[in-house]
Amino acid sequence: MGSNAASPFAIAGALVIAPAAMGLALWLGPDPTRIDPSGGLLARGGEHIGADACRACHPEQHASWDATFHSSMTQLPTRENVRGRFDGDRVTLFGASARPFERDGEFCFELPAIGAEPARVATVALAVGSRRYQQYFELVGDEVGGAYRRLPLVWHIGDERWMHMNGVFLAPDNNDWSRHQSLWNENCIFCHNTAPSPGLELAADGEPAPKRFDSSVADLGISCEACHGPGGEHARKHRSPLARYGAHHTRGEDDSIVDPLALDQAQATALCGQCHSQRLPSPPEKIWTYMESGPTFRPGDTLAGHVEPIRRDTPPLGGDASRGFEERFWSDGTARLTAYEFLGVTQSPCYGGGELTCFSCHVMHGGDVHGQIEPRMRTDAACTQCHVEIAADVRAHTHHEPASSGSRCLDCHMPHMVYGVVEIHRSHRIESPDTRRDVEGGRPHACTQCHIDRDALWAADRMREWWGDGYGRPSSRPDGAPLDAPEALASLHAGDAVQRAVYAWSLGRPEIALDERARAAAAANLIVTLGDGYPSVRVIARRSLLALDQRAGWGLRARLESFDPLATPEARTRALYELLDEVPRALASRLAPLGGSMMLAPGGRIDLERVRRLLDLQSDHVISIGE
Amino acid sequence: MNTTELRLVLKVGCALLAISLPMGVALEALHGFKVAQWLASPMRRELWRLAHAHGSMLGILCLLYVALAPHHVEDQRARVRAGRELALGAVLMPLGFFAGGVLNFEGDPSLGILLVPVGALLIVSALVRVLRAV
Repeated sequence: MGSNAASPFAIAGALVIAPAAMGLALWLGPDPTRIDPSGGLLARGGEHIGADACRACHPEQHASWDATFHSSMTQLPTRENVRGRFDGDRVTLFGASARPFERDGEFCFELPAIGAEPARVATVALAVGSRRYQQYFELVGDEVGGAYRRLPLVWHIGDERWMHMNGVFLAPDNNDWSRHQSLWNENCIFCHNTAPSPGLELAADGEPAPKRFDSSVADLGISCEACHGPGGEHARKHRSPLARYGAHHTRGEDDSIVDPLALDQAQATALCGQCHSQRLPSPPEKIWTYMESGPTFRPGDTLAGHVEPIRRDTPPLGGDASRGFEERFWSDGTARLTAYEFLGVTQSPCYGGGELTCFSCHVMHGGDVHGQIEPRMRTDAACTQCHVEIAADVRAHTHHEPASSGSRCLDCHMPHMVYGVVEIHRSHRIESPDTRRDVEGGRPHACTQCHIDRDALWAADRMREWWGDGYGRPSSRPDGAPLDAPEALASLHAGDAVQRAVYAWSLGRPEIALDERARAAAAANLIVTLGDGYPSVRVIARRSLLALDQRAGWGLRARLESFDPLATPEARTRALYELLDEVPRALASRLAPLGGSMMLAPGGRIDLERVRRLLDLQSDHVISIGE
Repeated sequence: MNTTELRLVLKVGCALLAISLPMGVALEALHGFKVAQWLASPMRRELWRLAHAHGSMLGILCLLYVALAPHHVEDQRARVRAGRELALGAVLMPLGFFAGGVLNFEGDPSLGILLVPVGALLIVSALVRVLRAV
């Protein structure tokens, strides 16, 4: 066998052939890291490297992030990502109709003539949102220099229906289909993506040229580097397994990446505040830098020097009073729209006088992805983790039964009074209710969001009785509604659009402190709100009616579902009058014993004359605010 | 006993081990150094792992055949043909898995994967021959 023995060269060749072939294949073959279906939107490799690169070493954290709505805030319109029903059925809303349909794997809208643009077909190029509703954007122009423009229809995921942008933002009915045709490149890109760079091309003098964009992001959606900072240096530093195992075993501090849980209070809160805070560049002149190369904030910074959170008294942009920010806040400066959570937290005594950060309640890699919160933190534990003395004797603090909804910390100290995405959310300004402050300031009051059959004077008297003379009676409401009317119903009918939306939601809460008869009266009042001039208020009122019916078993579901809050005014008016007649009649046996309370006439019918007097108090001031 | 045929199987077995074992080391290194081109293609990762595993196991199978066949497979014709089929199949299967991961598509292997079923059929055929002969 000796003469046939393999030569040393053959043996060496056999040993190196596989590694050599693998190296050659990786070197010469297509590079999967360069596959970019986003049309050039992704820019990685320098400071930012994208979430895929993080997965190699942090697969569990990547998986827990991937399950969140942060990861899918902006997506390419694949069959897996698109939530809307592009079934070819025509959708008629706000005076015109469109037809969502699918063609050759693309998602398209057949649009009516909008403004100067003729009727046409628009192809979806980006989808934004994956939790409550999904917006769609078309690419206008080429991939290089072009812009992504918002299309008029959105898919509401919870209600499983098409809506119009004019019906999801807080604004009165309007048939102008061009109202919300904003550009992704100069709006959504900032908070719905990671490491955004709008790439607005500026003219030589630094002023904006005709709008051309070379936009890029490290990731579509909010991913690792939004919170942990740019990962390029970290990945390069830890490419060697020796370096990684050294880091694992020494547990030393790693200054190449940010650990959010190791940040101080201001830094940790700013991390979320970079997006969960409507803000202006600081100083404002930096706006064109932002529009060119993106925000300068990096995790580990505070917001100071980068952006200034918008407050009620923030001067209007360009000195134009019509572009002021007052209507986004309750009169005392508490935010009444979402995306002001940072402001709310930093206004709270728990922040200034305590150690509160967003991470006191929220988690990014666990818990319930709806709200990114541990289920425990939806309970009193959120507060009693610090306020242990109150947990020791709940009744002494709340003057309610400890097991009742009146003893739930969050319902009094973080009441639902914030509008956003056709929902009402908790305020993030943690504070105590004060009847006089709330009622005189025209903001919702925690007590009457539960005791909806009680008036403001009753609530004020209870507060003074239980918590001392610091709490007084209100002298008036800003809208002039009588103080002896049930506060919730006065706000539902006479308040401004945000108040009406908040109380329309409150009347449908399972926790309201009412018996079945009073719930029926709440339903009768909500029927009136179906005639509101703001489509989003009507949508919320209808949801509350359906919730009340489901719990009480009145059998009105089909009748209530037949009312489309976004239908034409003629159709809505017709349906409303039918409901005004039928629903109180169906609930008559429950309503009659209530007599004249809760806006009811003796005999149980809704007292339309009394309600109309409240409706007449609604301000003529039009509220029109986006997200 | 036909020593030429057994020598072929022996050489193939040794060669497969000589190629597959360094390949395993190389795969570890690609993972250890987080080579993006390797990590970014799940299809390639799976196919090359299969190439490594099949090359190693079939190499050992070839050596076992060389050790056992002369004593237990008395039909020389069957032993020779089974040896040839085993040797060829043992080469084709890992080669097919490896080639399937070169120039592969995002969701599918490249056409080199076609060598795998050919190799598998040859090995099954060799197994049947041996079973009929013992």
